[in-house]
Amino acid sequence: MDYLFKAFRDAFGLIVGLDGEVYYVVWTSLKVSLAACLLAALIGVPLGMKIALARFRGRTCVLLLLNTLMALPTVVVGLFLYGLLGRRGPLGALEILYTPAGIILGEFILALPIVANLTVSAVKGLDPRLLLTCKSLGASPGQEARMILVEARYAVTAAIVAAFGRVIGEVGIAMMVGGNIKGFTRTMTTAIALETSKGEFELGLALGILLLLVALIVNVALQMLQRSKADD
Amino acid sequence: MTEGAAYILEDVTFAYGERVALEVPRLEIPRGKVTAIVGANGAGKTTLLHLLGFIEPPRTGRITFFDKDVAPEEALDFRRRVGLLLQDPYLFHTSVLANVEWGLKLRRVPVKERRERAMRALEQVGLSGFERRAAPALSGGESKRLALARVLALETDVLLLDEPMSHMDRESAGRTEQVIRELNRERGVSVLLASPDILWAQALTDNVLSLHDGKIVPASLANVFRGRITDAGRSFETAKISIYLGDTEAAGTHLAIDPSAIVLSKEPLTSSMRNTLHGRVVAISEEAAKVRVEVDAGERFHVLITKKSLETFDLRLGDEVCLSFKSTAVKLF
Repeated sequence: MDYLFKAFRDAFGLIVGLDGEVYYVVWTSLKVSLAACLLAALIGVPLGMKIALARFRGRTCVLLLLNTLMALPTVVVGLFLYGLLGRRGPLGALEILYTPAGIILGEFILALPIVANLTVSAVKGLDPRLLLTCKSLGASPGQEARMILVEARYAVTAAIVAAFGRVIGEVGIAMMVGGNIKGFTRTMTTAIALETSKGEFELGLALGILLLLVALIVNVALQMLQRSKADD
Repeated sequence: MTEGAAYILEDVTFAYGERVALEVPRLEIPRGKVTAIVGANGAGKTTLLHLLGFIEPPRTGRITFFDKDVAPEEALDFRRRVGLLLQDPYLFHTSVLANVEWGLKLRRVPVKERRERAMRALEQVGLSGFERRAAPALSGGESKRLALARVLALETDVLLLDEPMSHMDRESAGRTEQVIRELNRERGVSVLLASPDILWAQALTDNVLSLHDGKIVPASLANVFRGRITDAGRSFETAKISIYLGDTEAAGTHLAIDPSAIVLSKEPLTSSMRNTLHGRVVAISEEAAKVRVEVDAGERFHVLITKKSLETFDLRLGDEVCLSFKSTAVKLF
């Protein structure tokens, strides 16, 4: 028990003492996760809107695929990208294996189906009279899409936040594609795994606490967003 | 006459899947007038308004709008020239003012003018002072008025109003009626409004289009009775009464009698009118500028009279009255 208590005390010491290594790892994690989510939002939101609004052959299959991809195991993505990005792989020339860009790509693949799928639900959950009303007021298809996005803003933001929650806490891709290189591709999750195996329990614990803190902040932000929606 | 028509429809049909919802061989809607489209629920009123608002292209046929043929690819341009108030409009999750300004924003109206027009429209519907309120928090009647203001702000030459008075209290309905009349009289706006209330529509305007099962019928849809023609085509029998038709070639299973063509009297009239029925007044109500009298004469009849004749008659609930009408006031379909 003493051992755990001491570990917690040392971990807080590292956090409060603004330990350089700890914060560099936190920064790397935030950087790659935010970049991956931004990319996923840029592609996933329009994609989700298109799928929700359009009627095309194979739509059900696309939805099924997106649903399946939401449960994508991170090590599978890591493995797949390792094969593609490795020196002998078809995308080896990009030379992004074991770089932050490699992690961003992997986490983007992880986040995209989440953003797209939840955007589909967000748009489908809108009032069915919205589209007709936009049309009746003289909106062009582009203006209609913009209004749909505005009306679905809270749910779409929640979709991006959910994707962020998933990628910030994943370890498989960061480990296999990032390589856990100190001061370069080491993220919170890979650092926790490594430091703990090295016996640096306090450092792992400090990072674990910070990871939980990030999750907490994300959830508080989400809740505030939902509350402001209820006030509308 | 082509000149003076806001719309001309030729061989227009529309269907939802296999179900034909509208069939109009030819229809002219006059420019600068108030036209009412009446019919029961599902008669095709909303479908017709959506076609006239260029929301949907017709399945077949063509529509001419102010002497121009409307091609499907130009629908958006034409759509922006009409103001369509939907039967059940959606209000955007933003302020009242932003709701009204949205349609103007789409048309790239400059900010200052946009604001002026929005404020004017809100005043017209009696919502001045509501600008900053959140639109979804409005009551049912206020929401409908806001939706109307959103359409009025577009200042189009044509207004298509789908049941504009539904969900409105009497005061709002009266105000809306007044706005419609003013716009028509002062700016020459062509107004088309759909309503299930035949008598209200007939009291509001002389131009009443009756829709029945997706078809335009050449009759007022008030006093519609189901029955069959008997006596070698000279009478029409419902389950309760018999109506004299005169020498007519017309056929059908429905009969309608124009409520303005029925004469009310306390004693039987000595006139050329071949149909006289006795009944009892069961309801009297105000309808636009006229008075609606309901008479139970076996079947229930609706009669429109002026306020003046109500006074000279001294008509009261429960009075025994005679209903007289010519056989030419009777339409079969």
